[in-house]
Amino acid sequence: MRNTGLRRPLGTIIKKYWFFYMLVLPGFAVLLLFNYVPMYGLLLAFKDWNLTKGVWGSPWTSMRGFKYFLSFLTDPYFWRVMRNTIVINLYNLAFGFTFTIFLALMINEMRSQRLKRTVQTAVYLPYFLSWIIFAGLVNAFLDPQTGLINNVIVLLGGSPVRFLTDNRYFQPVVVITNTIKESGYESILYLAAIAGISPELYESAKVDGGNRLHMILHIILPHITPTIAVLLLLRVSRLLASNFEQIYNLYSPMVFDTGDTAATYIYRVGLEQSQYSLSTALNLFTNILGLLLLLVTNKLVERRNFEGIL
Amino acid sequence: MSALRAGKAPRKWRRRFGGFDVFVTVFCLLFALVCFFPLWYVFVVSIMPYSEFVQHPLAIFPTSGIDLQYYRAIFSNASIWNAIFYSVVKTGLATGLSVIITAAMAYGVSKRHIPGMQVVNVMTIVTMYFGGGLIPVYLLYRDLGLLRSFWAMVLPFSLNVGYYIIMRNYFLHELSSELEEAAHLDGANPIQAFFRVVLPTSAPMIAAVTLFIAVAMWNDWYSFHTYVNVPAIRPLANTLREILTKNNLVNSISNEAQALLGFKPPPVALRMATVIVATTPILIVYPFLQKYFAKGLMLGAVKG
Repeated sequence: MRNTGLRRPLGTIIKKYWFFYMLVLPGFAVLLLFNYVPMYGLLLAFKDWNLTKGVWGSPWTSMRGFKYFLSFLTDPYFWRVMRNTIVINLYNLAFGFTFTIFLALMINEMRSQRLKRTVQTAVYLPYFLSWIIFAGLVNAFLDPQTGLINNVIVLLGGSPVRFLTDNRYFQPVVVITNTIKESGYESILYLAAIAGISPELYESAKVDGGNRLHMILHIILPHITPTIAVLLLLRVSRLLASNFEQIYNLYSPMVFDTGDTAATYIYRVGLEQSQYSLSTALNLFTNILGLLLLLVTNKLVERRNFEGIL
Repeated sequence: MSALRAGKAPRKWRRRFGGFDVFVTVFCLLFALVCFFPLWYVFVVSIMPYSEFVQHPLAIFPTSGIDLQYYRAIFSNASIWNAIFYSVVKTGLATGLSVIITAAMAYGVSKRHIPGMQVVNVMTIVTMYFGGGLIPVYLLYRDLGLLRSFWAMVLPFSLNVGYYIIMRNYFLHELSSELEEAAHLDGANPIQAFFRVVLPTSAPMIAAVTLFIAVAMWNDWYSFHTYVNVPAIRPLANTLREILTKNNLVNSISNEAQALLGFKPPPVALRMATVIVATTPILIVYPFLQKYFAKGLMLGAVKG
């Protein structure tokens, strides 16, 4: 290696910084093995998987390797799955996202610090429970025979509602349970932004005769707009991503019509039906679309002079 | 001091408690109730006699005494103890490995001037957005012999990219570089500086990350479900899933408990008691979790 002013010989560099390289090495090896080696397996999307021949030896598919892409792109079920994924995300955006902002504003307005802490303790908790536990709680409430809510409905003279196995209710249940589980934790981001507002701003607004609603509208909301923009675009960039853990633990074949999403479909096709190539092609397709969405939304944020999300 | 606490309204108009405050308080308390009540309800059902649950399915407090029979039933079952054992072991191993490898890497990469570190950093962040996905990962595990192996629940978690970013940012921006420089001036080499200055100073941050990773590992059901599926080494999260979604295990627990309790405990009650058993460890560490993330330590995870 040339020994110029900028490029020192590799040996000298390693000798000088060997300790730091040693610290990085195990993590880097794990990264290569568990994150980069599988990228090679993406070839499967263009090949007919053959167990004995492996990824490399399996033959390329017809249609110049795009057989599986054409097969799912012409499959109406694939489009239903994509529609479900996007619709659930849009509902989450319209309901969960706005609710989170509202919740943060309300928590901020609480006067009693002790009550505020109690509320925060309660609303952050669900985030730390796994979807297995949370699905157990959801069932304890929505079960047609033993669930609390159905017991109330029956007591009031109604007939039990099959919330989790009826296509009319499944998507609302997904959105509401997701909001309960995540919005408390997400509200911290807004509370942190609100905490950065200078008290002088409130004082001067007070002098101008503003009440607390004015403060929210004219001081707090403008101040947290960058945070809102970043989180909104983060959500938009994940329009094609599904909350696998949630859906997988709540859905059943009875609600595939409204509840089957990209991630759950890819999982079932791949591991329950062992269609490795099709599943990989589906995954690659949605992954690339998601990546494009992310890049586009990131450009949008940057154009608005906010910090990018990447 | 309180005036400096931003986000708080100035003292002058904090006196009147008007309609706005009523709305705010009621809204917040209601949502807090929605978040907390499900767990409370499941807890109450799990400790009240089944006869009472049948009579008053809406009870929100055990009025006619506490009955721990369902817990006796669960804990008399060998597969539950087995599940707890494997959960504890895999949580301990995966958390330890993950924290050590991730923290070491984050610290090394935080020395951005060292050649190659930027490349490693970018390569790590890229994996948050792109990867092989389900089947390629599955096939890799197959080739590594991780399928149906205990280690599939441990080794893949060795590097936690999300906490890598948080820790790297901490070492970059929060850790005072002056301390390190002072150590160097005192004649300490990088190794001594790392163990005597960096590690002790960042101990609270590392402790917080450890807790968060431990909760994630305790909750992890996906790796067993997808790659392992050997009942003999099934962790508690998956055993809970088995109890909640299928009838075999819950019925066998119920049958076995008949000799002990004199009656067959109903599956609903056993299910709720198991939910509480799986949640308890999280509730125990929850005060610490809340303390740390209320400080905003974990906020960096949202952005790369």
